[in-house]
Amino acid sequence: MTELIRESYRYRELIWALAIKELKIRYKRSVLGFMWALLNPAFMMLVLTLVFSTIMRLGIRHYAIFLLSVLLPWTFFSQSLSYAVESIVTNGDLIKKVAVPKIVFPMAAVVSNIINLLLSLIPLALLVPLLRHPFYWTWFYLPVPLLALAIFTLGMTFFFSAANVYYRDVSHILQVVLSAWFYLTPIIYPLDAIPARYQWILKLNPIIYVINGFRLSVYYGQLPKAPSILASFVCAFISLFIGFSIFRKYQNNFVFYV
Amino acid sequence: MPSTEPVIRLENVTQLFRVIHERPDTVRELFSKLFRNRSSYHDFEAVKNVSFDVPHGQALGIIGRNGSGKSTLLKIIAGVYRPTQGKVTVEGTLAPLIELGAGFHHELTGRENILLNGLLMGYSKRDMLERQQRIIDFADVGEFIDAPVKQYSSGMYMRLAFAVAIEVDPQILVVDEILAVGDIGFQQKCFERIRKFRESGKTILLVSHNMGQVAEHCDRALLIDHGCVIVDGHADEAIAMYRTLLSPEVVAAQ
Repeated sequence: MTELIRESYRYRELIWALAIKELKIRYKRSVLGFMWALLNPAFMMLVLTLVFSTIMRLGIRHYAIFLLSVLLPWTFFSQSLSYAVESIVTNGDLIKKVAVPKIVFPMAAVVSNIINLLLSLIPLALLVPLLRHPFYWTWFYLPVPLLALAIFTLGMTFFFSAANVYYRDVSHILQVVLSAWFYLTPIIYPLDAIPARYQWILKLNPIIYVINGFRLSVYYGQLPKAPSILASFVCAFISLFIGFSIFRKYQNNFVFYV
Repeated sequence: MPSTEPVIRLENVTQLFRVIHERPDTVRELFSKLFRNRSSYHDFEAVKNVSFDVPHGQALGIIGRNGSGKSTLLKIIAGVYRPTQGKVTVEGTLAPLIELGAGFHHELTGRENILLNGLLMGYSKRDMLERQQRIIDFADVGEFIDAPVKQYSSGMYMRLAFAVAIEVDPQILVVDEILAVGDIGFQQKCFERIRKFRESGKTILLVSHNMGQVAEHCDRALLIDHGCVIVDGHADEAIAMYRTLLSPEVVAAQ
């Protein structure tokens, strides 16, 4: 684990440059360029707000905020994984020609998506007063779940990007896993929509604790309870530990399989 | 004064490649393979038990036929492959010119690619900003430096890639057969720069099929065949042996 910290510090400039490259390429040749990082979530929010305040009225006040408070972090999670899973394979040509540390590729995918997530929080912060939802001081707690989510995501990207080098099926399986996982996580529905006797199943979902932290602080204006915070970090570090161990074990052989 | 301390040392280096036959691409193949239970790979020794030292300031040529293991050897030295067996020690910074522009991204500008490529080779952003002007001067791409490299002519692309590798001022330059491309003017400019690089006491590894280049630039040459070092000596000696090695094939071709 110290190796990971040391390596990522040593290659921080490279990771950052690759992350920026990723974003630049994503928005290249569009007139509005980087603005799309803000406009995209803004338009999505607009649509969601309209749909859920006029067409589909659910019993949840300000459903758009309720949804977005966890949909944005989830999008970060699923996009990071979708980008990172292919990151070693798509950089195969480079890996075969330059002695480059492999960890930089999944890390760059996570970093570029963190930037996207942070940018998408801006339109959310504007939507809150617009819908006359109270702007809670607990917003300032967000860096904590953000950190836990980033660590959790990083571990998962290490695992999936390494596995995809050996079995290209992994990137397809990942899409299935992500869509199932999306519905098994209280994103579009509240936590208590699940009957009490099935609640224990939710507790096995490792991303639920961190997701809950986002919703509590943005929508409810509460802080998660200490055990829940602890659980979110325990899950994050287990993910990082397993993901990185596997990645590290196989990284020197990637060059033969890409 | 070039010291005698080796900057590159290979000790009993062996590189195995697992050649996979008929990897199951469909589920049907997968099942039929599982039941037949045959081994579907063999190991291929690309480099066999190779040992040599390269002293500081030497220009070493590596020659051999196609598929003899030259590029594999360079990649082991450049750290791309971790050898299956043996030990590789490399002292100091190394710039690999294994393929020109390997780290370039087509959508990024020349200037952005200079930075990215430098970072990929392990230099810091500050190092690269210091060297940027020299790289741009050598590459001589004019206004194009701020255009995406996909708009470059192939000559401009190569000039920029070569400029990055040589102007980062590594202690060791590894050149793999890349100077076969480009026009004569560019080749001369590159070799002029390589000569200057050598004169400043740096180490060069050159893989080439152009014996003239090897004879001119290298003090010493290794002849590789089937993954083994056959000749390790003066460049002329290795070239002569290489010609004998090739002659049956040349006769056969005629």
